[in-house]
Amino acid sequence: MKRVLLTAALACCALAGQAAAQGVTLPAVERVELDNGVVLLVTEQRDVPLVGLEVIVRGGAITDPDGKAGLASLMLGLMEKGAGSRNADAFAEAVDGVGGSLTTSAGLETLNISAEFLSRDTGLMVELVADMLQAPRFDGEELRKLRDRRIDLLRAAKDRDPRELSPLYGNAFLFTGHPYGRPVNGDETSLASLRASDVRGYYEDFVGANRLVIAAVGDFDAADMISLLTLAFADWRTVEGPLPEVPAAPPEDGRRVLLVDKPGATQSYFWIGNIGVSRSYPQRAELDIANTLFGGRFTSLLVDELRTKAGLTYSAYSALLRPSAPGSVAVVSYTKTSSTIEAIDLALGLLGRLHETGFDPELIASGKNYILGQFPPGYETAAQLAEQFANLEAFGLGAGYVNDYGAAVAAADVEAIQAVIDAVYPRQDDLVFVIIGDAETIRDSVAKYGPITEMALTDPRFSP
Amino acid sequence: MALFNELRRRNVFKVALLYALASLLVVWLVDSVQARFALPVWTDTFAYFILAVAFPVALWLAWTYEITPVGIKKADDVDQTQSIVYKTGQKLNAAVAVLLVLGVLAMLGQGLLPTFEFLVPDPPEGEAPISARTPPEIRSLTLGNGLEIIVWPDHDIPNVAMYNFVRAGGRNEYPGITGVSHFFEHMMFLGTENLEPGEFDRTMEAAGGRNNAYTNQDVTVYLDWFPRSALETIFELEADRFENLNIVPEVFESERQVVFSERRSSIDNNNAWKLLEQVQATAFVAHPYQFPVVGWPSDIGSWTQDDLVNFYRTYYAPNNRTIVVTGDVTTEEIFALADEYFAPIPAQPSPPPVRTVEPIQAGERRIAVGAPAQTPLLQAAFHSARAADPDALTLSLLLRILTDGDSSRLHRALVEDAGLALSVDSYLHEGFDPGLTLFLLTLPPGGDVDAAERRLLAELERVINDGVSREEVAKARNKLLADFWRELSTISGKAGALGRYQVFHGNYEKLFLQPELVEAITTEDLRAVATEVFRVTNMTVGVLRDPAAGAAR
Repeated sequence: MKRVLLTAALACCALAGQAAAQGVTLPAVERVELDNGVVLLVTEQRDVPLVGLEVIVRGGAITDPDGKAGLASLMLGLMEKGAGSRNADAFAEAVDGVGGSLTTSAGLETLNISAEFLSRDTGLMVELVADMLQAPRFDGEELRKLRDRRIDLLRAAKDRDPRELSPLYGNAFLFTGHPYGRPVNGDETSLASLRASDVRGYYEDFVGANRLVIAAVGDFDAADMISLLTLAFADWRTVEGPLPEVPAAPPEDGRRVLLVDKPGATQSYFWIGNIGVSRSYPQRAELDIANTLFGGRFTSLLVDELRTKAGLTYSAYSALLRPSAPGSVAVVSYTKTSSTIEAIDLALGLLGRLHETGFDPELIASGKNYILGQFPPGYETAAQLAEQFANLEAFGLGAGYVNDYGAAVAAADVEAIQAVIDAVYPRQDDLVFVIIGDAETIRDSVAKYGPITEMALTDPRFSP
Repeated sequence: MALFNELRRRNVFKVALLYALASLLVVWLVDSVQARFALPVWTDTFAYFILAVAFPVALWLAWTYEITPVGIKKADDVDQTQSIVYKTGQKLNAAVAVLLVLGVLAMLGQGLLPTFEFLVPDPPEGEAPISARTPPEIRSLTLGNGLEIIVWPDHDIPNVAMYNFVRAGGRNEYPGITGVSHFFEHMMFLGTENLEPGEFDRTMEAAGGRNNAYTNQDVTVYLDWFPRSALETIFELEADRFENLNIVPEVFESERQVVFSERRSSIDNNNAWKLLEQVQATAFVAHPYQFPVVGWPSDIGSWTQDDLVNFYRTYYAPNNRTIVVTGDVTTEEIFALADEYFAPIPAQPSPPPVRTVEPIQAGERRIAVGAPAQTPLLQAAFHSARAADPDALTLSLLLRILTDGDSSRLHRALVEDAGLALSVDSYLHEGFDPGLTLFLLTLPPGGDVDAAERRLLAELERVINDGVSREEVAKARNKLLADFWRELSTISGKAGALGRYQVFHGNYEKLFLQPELVEAITTEDLRAVATEVFRVTNMTVGVLRDPAAGAAR
């Protein structure tokens, strides 16, 4: 493949951007709030015989108790392993039998269930999702199997290319002792400590009607869908477990380095970052433009210099993590072991250049066009729309978050963008480094970036 | 004889005939309704069972009871002089006639039941068996220089996908230039006689477009996604790089390093790919499918400018390409743009055919790879069918039964039941030539590689010996059908699917035959293809484990 998958960087823009010129606007959605707090968002889209269903439980990894990282995620995974009248096999058989797709994913602040299926199977899929949420079995043997498999899969991930792991180590090291530093799916030690009582306790405290958002988009009659969902969820209980107010982590002063040893690695993988901004950051359009131009597309500064001009890497990007409290901003790339210093020095130089010279008006116009031009494909299918509606509701964002965004991008000016760059991107002196590589070869040379903490890739945690 | 006469008198024969006719009608109804309303697969079996059980009961009732003017009585208690059995017999005759007429009508007029377009394709039209199912808005055109253009307008979003398929990939390489097709894909972004290196991407992104490309063993595909407003810019950019590519020596050298970096990430630092590279090189001894697409390291280090120039001239000619455009466009405007921008590019002599045919494998092959690993890997590869072979679709249905979803056979056997593997996946190479069917297993730390292999082979053996159930086939069909619609729900999916069918099956219209071809696959077909492919003599097994992790099992 020619391209780095810029997913991490682009994911930040998933809710962003609208082709103002073409005037794309979210379709109207019917919102119904049941007495017990369940919010239903329903809209018809009838071009193909599919239905997309997105269910969000507000909460997520930030509600994991201390030392129990991965609990919410494990509980979510177990909901598929037997619910209602079906054991794990029967449940899988029911989903597979109709060719449906049903996936679960845990995030920092939400637990998501995403289903996509043929419209003729709507009744069955609503029943399955309702059972998962309201009547999970949490079978002890299934728990043991899933937990042990997740531990082993973390080890398997370390045998693959560590590209996907460096952000995990990066955020864990930057947010040491803060909820955002916890690995969402847990680590080998936290997972090993999880018991059936933990899972049941979490479920009783944190999973209930008043935390639930359900969005349905697709080939159905909206009134029928609303009655179906109402019937399935109106009698569910509410929960009292507290949703924590996550404090803002203070920006990092000075530098520190985490060296993660992968003996014999032929490449070094680096993540260099600091505290960034939250989802509600007011200059979102300006920041998205800046990030697109810095490291969010193929002709961005980072890719152009590190890959196209210097041939040091296959992939480079800048990543913004934007939860409810300030998240992180980071430069991510990798290079062959012998050019580790050359590539990191170049990346630091580009961070400096970003502050000093910023972007000229022509580039800014190009960045705006890119964001606006790539926006509509994120709202193409029923499943995508369901996900967008559910997210807006779960995070308390109105339709304007999407509908007004195009105009905000179009209106952003050079000075405002430069001000955002200065406010959000870290200075070279204040940085947290995570480098995964062959420690024996690079230990001495990376010492110049700051005091080193060292751990092995095979250590059972993602932080020292 | 007396018994026979009494049976006849009591209308038992007529009841039997009536029952048989009614049963036929019920069976036919259940079959039709089951297909249309997606009733559970056991519905028909259950109906047959009930009909069979009730048959003797009906006969017994006919013998024992009799209808009289004052109600139903036991036949033995009825005064024969008062009996009206002949009248009842006439009524039964009438009922038989009515059922016969109904049956004939039903056979003639299958359209009486409501039909859902997306579930039951219209029956084939005699003179146009393929195009009858193709959405009429899709149109294609072949330019004078041989370039094929396919257009599927879809105005849901103001965007366009343009996929450019080049019939060049790993199979067109030979020792010394392995990886050159993939490297060439990189060079296609790095400068023409009119544009400096990097200018192509800058122009496209400034117009709101995004692109990517991939190379595999058969084809190289260039992908553009852009707002409708960028349409003409994209045609200009694409025509330029396919006609006027300029390979700058310094750019060439820098990009060589990028590909080395790509190789280090995707193969050297990735155990699954590291093993797969060796399995492919072992499974094929003659055919170029044995080469890694990214190239062997020594070849990456030694490609020359001439290699690239020759490759461009031979394989990137318009007569070796297919372009698919989907999205917010009209057929007329795309045909006009194609004529303006692509028609002037001259055709070239056809590329040389790949002549090598892989000789039949005559015995099991094994390959071991040592690498730092917490989790051992096991892969099993079997030579199978080319994309255009009907067996390929049968195999892909079988692989869904084996590995697709938590209820699939191998997932249950290897992951859930025995804990022998953390994951089991399968992959079917659908290319121009017969490729491999692969099973890829990740084992838990310290996992028993031999036990996992035994269980895998036992499960494959079970398919050969006992076949698969109708329920499993129905499930796999539903999955294929849902995936079919999912792929066609985006303009990118549409472009990819049309291109794949045009290039590998010779006609994009065959895409729309897939649902009914899948419907026609029988359990016997599945067993036959398993017997043909999953032979131990046709197998290559690869194992990767950490040499430092103690004595090998």
